[in-house]
Amino acid sequence: MSDEEESDQFNGRMGLIFASIGAAIGTGNIWRFPRMVGANGGGTFLVPWLIFLFAWSIPLVIAEYAMGKRSRTGTIGTFRIFAGKKFAWMGLWTAWISTAIGFYYAVVAGWTIKYFQLGISGALTGEGVDTTEVWNAFLQSPGQVIFFQFLVICLTLAAIWKGAKAIEKVNFYLMISLFALLFLTLFLSLWMDMEDGSLDGAMFMFTVDFEMLKDPEIWINGLSQSAWSCSAGMGMCITYAVYMSKDEDTVLNAFTMGLANNSISIIAGLAVLSAIFAVSPDPLATVTGGSSAITFLALPEVFAKAPFAPIGPLFMMAGFFLALSFAAMTSMISTVELCVRNFVDHGYNRGKSVALTGLALFLFGIPSAVMWVKLDAEGVAFPEFLEVQDHIWGYGLMFSGLFIAFSIWKYGYYRWKSGVEAGVAPAGFRGYLGFGVSAFRDDFINTGDNDIEVGRWWDLLMYLAFPILFSVLMISYFADMIANTPDVWDPTNPKGLSIILLFWGVIAALFISFNKFIVQRPLYRNIPQGADVDISTLPGGSDDLVVARGEHAPGFEHLTVGKGA
Amino acid sequence: MQNGKVIRTRPSFGALIVLPLLLSLVAPVANAGIAQDEPMGYAPEDIWSDDYNNMIFPWAPANDPILQFKEYHTYETMKQRMQRLAEENSDIFEFHEGMNGGTNARGEATTQDSYEGWYYDHASPWLKITHEVYNGDYNPFVGDNGNYEDRPDVMIVGNHHAREWMSYQTPIMVMEVIAFSYDNIGYDNDGDGEVDEDPWGDANGDGILDDDGDCLGLDPSFQDSNGDGTPCGAGDLGVDEDYSEQWITDLVNSREIYLIPMLNVDGNIYDREVFCPAPAWETCPSGGWRKNLRDNTYTGVTPIPDLQERVDEDCDGVDLNRNYQFEWGAPLGATGPLIPGTCTPAEGELDGSNNDVYNGPVDDKDNDGDGQINEDHVDGKDDDADGLTDEDWWGGNSEPETKFIQDITEMNDDDGNGASEFKSTLTFHSYSELVLYPWGHCTGCQSPDHDQLIYHGDEMAEMTQYTNMQSSDLYPTSGDFCDWHYGLHGSYCYTMEIGTAFHQHEDDIDHIAVRNLGVAFYMAEIADNPRERADLAIANISQQNYLSDSKNVVIPAEGDIPIDLCVSNQFPYSEANTMIQWRTVKPSRLQSDYGPREWATTAWESVPVMVMDDETCTVSDGNGTILRGMVPISETATGKLHYKAAVSTLGGSDFIQYPANGEYYELDLSYRAAYGSVFGSFLMFGITAAFVWGGLAICLRMMLTDDEEALDLADALLEAEAKA
Repeated sequence: MSDEEESDQFNGRMGLIFASIGAAIGTGNIWRFPRMVGANGGGTFLVPWLIFLFAWSIPLVIAEYAMGKRSRTGTIGTFRIFAGKKFAWMGLWTAWISTAIGFYYAVVAGWTIKYFQLGISGALTGEGVDTTEVWNAFLQSPGQVIFFQFLVICLTLAAIWKGAKAIEKVNFYLMISLFALLFLTLFLSLWMDMEDGSLDGAMFMFTVDFEMLKDPEIWINGLSQSAWSCSAGMGMCITYAVYMSKDEDTVLNAFTMGLANNSISIIAGLAVLSAIFAVSPDPLATVTGGSSAITFLALPEVFAKAPFAPIGPLFMMAGFFLALSFAAMTSMISTVELCVRNFVDHGYNRGKSVALTGLALFLFGIPSAVMWVKLDAEGVAFPEFLEVQDHIWGYGLMFSGLFIAFSIWKYGYYRWKSGVEAGVAPAGFRGYLGFGVSAFRDDFINTGDNDIEVGRWWDLLMYLAFPILFSVLMISYFADMIANTPDVWDPTNPKGLSIILLFWGVIAALFISFNKFIVQRPLYRNIPQGADVDISTLPGGSDDLVVARGEHAPGFEHLTVGKGA
Repeated sequence: MQNGKVIRTRPSFGALIVLPLLLSLVAPVANAGIAQDEPMGYAPEDIWSDDYNNMIFPWAPANDPILQFKEYHTYETMKQRMQRLAEENSDIFEFHEGMNGGTNARGEATTQDSYEGWYYDHASPWLKITHEVYNGDYNPFVGDNGNYEDRPDVMIVGNHHAREWMSYQTPIMVMEVIAFSYDNIGYDNDGDGEVDEDPWGDANGDGILDDDGDCLGLDPSFQDSNGDGTPCGAGDLGVDEDYSEQWITDLVNSREIYLIPMLNVDGNIYDREVFCPAPAWETCPSGGWRKNLRDNTYTGVTPIPDLQERVDEDCDGVDLNRNYQFEWGAPLGATGPLIPGTCTPAEGELDGSNNDVYNGPVDDKDNDGDGQINEDHVDGKDDDADGLTDEDWWGGNSEPETKFIQDITEMNDDDGNGASEFKSTLTFHSYSELVLYPWGHCTGCQSPDHDQLIYHGDEMAEMTQYTNMQSSDLYPTSGDFCDWHYGLHGSYCYTMEIGTAFHQHEDDIDHIAVRNLGVAFYMAEIADNPRERADLAIANISQQNYLSDSKNVVIPAEGDIPIDLCVSNQFPYSEANTMIQWRTVKPSRLQSDYGPREWATTAWESVPVMVMDDETCTVSDGNGTILRGMVPISETATGKLHYKAAVSTLGGSDFIQYPANGEYYELDLSYRAAYGSVFGSFLMFGITAAFVWGGLAICLRMMLTDDEEALDLADALLEAEAKA
């Protein structure tokens, strides 16, 4: 199979599903979810978490698939086509946020591999192992941290070098192994928890306290867990949808991906909580004690007490951290692919783009790996530079979701306006509600390829629920930050608000001013055999510079862009 | 870009990625310095922030020398600053100049003019400070709002004597500290990462002022930053530097503070602008203008009228701190009224020594209109046995400034009982490093509150490392502020003689002001009932009370958490007005995924206490009484509980805190509720499983049955590999 002959696409539907699940499942499912369950009243937390899966994550993923499948380009091209030429910068923002997160995420993924290595070598299971000491020693040796970060990047690049087919294969094997390893861990955890006579971890995780449901904080936390862990609205699904075959069912895929993501969360949450409840005298204090602390300090201690020693603990430790590193790796793959796809769309060679992205990830990840590694009040090391990066870019992700919603709103209005002019749509606000609001759904979701017909509920969620939920997330986050951060407005405070707003402002201003350069570049769409659908009705669709891979853009005939690559 | 040629594409995408990237790296690096965590070292910069080391105060820009206490305020700058702060802090500060006047407590008619200086016509600017100062009762005579019956009042007065410049700078710093600290809980004053670790005075009773030991940990060459010869003494960097903002806030919420930084505006302007050309510490090292600017030659006491109407430096002015009426006129340390001044020119330099303690003109009016003159002078006794006390005085309070103090004191009667509200009063003077308590007018005498006055004086002497003594033991004076306040109104009154010069060198402003800050807050604290506080402390009763610390609190399996306060059986607690205050600290929702544990703190709330009749606790004298507050903490709560007690007595002391001064105890909360029910968890598990796994199964099934294409991924992959 040569790159030059065929367009890049997944072999089958399962390839897409596994790649998307791989993107969605990350460390958030395995180390954030159990903490959120513990800190938010156990089963009580599952209620908002499940509701927001359907109210926030899945609708956004549907939109992403629909957009990517139509545009057949990465995030920049998708926004250029869907939101119009003036808004290509939104795609750049989406790509940048994901890449900026990738800088430090590679470091974190490196930690998980290191802990797998420690686990398999038995360094965490012996007598008198002080997990804090092991963690601090690791984090405070820059060589080690950089080595594992480097390893992660090399593995990622190797996986995606060849494009969609390779991504598909790697994700398939990693995800299947992840399931298997998590089930192994879950089995051992439940065994441990049963030893004291009751499954109190599982009981806690599934008991709803209806009194607590009145607390708005539970709902906000449920929403934020759902928004972050599923990767909805972050551009991953736009990217993978580029490789969809032509009659792929986007809606079914979205549901599958969302549900699979939450399945993994439940399994991981049950495994972690059961193990902690089995061993820890005050399990909830342990669970609420900060995320990396649970994962790298508390869990090794807990796993060391697994049954069938010495094999059980070894299996549990190695299995859990291997699963965790697989989850991190597959997310890493989607992050790199999202960035590379944008380069390839604009006529750059895939190999070079992959290499450049990899190099950037490595170089710009180094500060997160080694800078400002400090001890907190309890004597546990933490990388403050990395934390600050997370602080700055983590919430930038929300805007990517907002931009997707914006494109949908804009398309609806655009379609209704032009429909009124052409005389096919009724005028007035009622006309807009009837024609415009449902335009995106009619044109791109219910295309006939989907088994599940998406009804009016999706419009309501995108037009009404999304803006409300987005505002709740942003306002509660900023209000909390202002209330709880000392010197929150001091621009030199790396944990303050000014620095976040400054970075967001500078990046947005820079990208908006670059917009006109971006749209002067030709855009090459990756259209699989027979999947060419007219895009001229889209705001940015009728553009001479937007061409299919293999065609020549006017003025750029010197660029030979193969169909593959 | 396959053949490596790119034209008309600038800037390239590489640049797009790299630019923001560089930005994101540069800014945090610039902050690297702030975020460094250094172990305790030997140099100040190892421990504290640069601002703190250079005494750059957080309430103003570093380049503003006046607001940074590197240069002196003038009357004008002080007034502007007071107005500005009153605007910015309108919930706690109300700015005033003089008073409205009306009919005063002695039946005299006054107007605004009555309180303006003779010469420059300025009334003394002052601040009324209390929580919700715009609320409460309005006092038409004084013109202030924020009068609350249940809030004790304290008066702080600076600059009776014009040349004693530190005596107004210090109250100004008190004002700045209140404005900055109010509701700014947990501010880290010295930037060492700890908060409220070193309050004023020797908080832990080990005899060392530097409670947190940071100054003592310095290299000895850094230990005497104020250069007074005492290493780690009062006023040195690192000593009493991180006081509790909570405590200051509590004080402002529960007290009315009358802050009058510059009483003698006339004299101060004259001293600065005319008498001692700048820099005053060089032109008037041991002198300066002291009195106000009464025109003694004009007022008719001396035969020669002053036709030019200008200040006759050899003759004019009244010593305000000899002009108060109590025992006025006994010529102790004052020039009596019969010798209004020799009016002979001073020799040599401008030392202002001539007639410097003139106590003001004789009042030969018949004040009570009974046909007799001066038959009952002000001493708290009924000298003429006519049933009226002090009704016909022979002088004193003749000056606009002292009349201002007289009327603001006597017309401030929130509860309408006829007695002045000020139970504690404080005045700053320079210099000598002394704490002075009444009496001043008699030698070898003792006031009825002698022991109690010594007690509080000792407390303030401890925090300033000054010497506490009876005023008359320094030298006898009649007609001073404190004799009047204590003698006439029963107010515990102290004169702080601060610093080491009249015109202290400007380099010394900041550290002398800092050294004396705590005194003002101490006086505010004891303003509820200074006598009772002293009695309880002298009898070693209040020291025995204690709040159960976290080791001694038993968290029940369910329900509210009892917090016990153990009080001595001699302690006159008021059950109704004693509270246990609490708040919780929960893991923050903002919890970073990669950083340390973060916490969110709730606001303080309080619960009443009940007396536990059938239980006793132990104090050092034997059995004590348990006052128990039930703190409502949910059984599902985790995190920490902070608690403290605010105790009131039957005698009206309303602000005794355990543990002291804004501190609190911390208790770890663990989850107490059941982890769940078997039935409920089965049900929820079923629902979740049905939704998530059931939904997933349906999706996969739809996919597999519906699609004709190669759905078996393994097959597809094998196929692909075969192809390759």
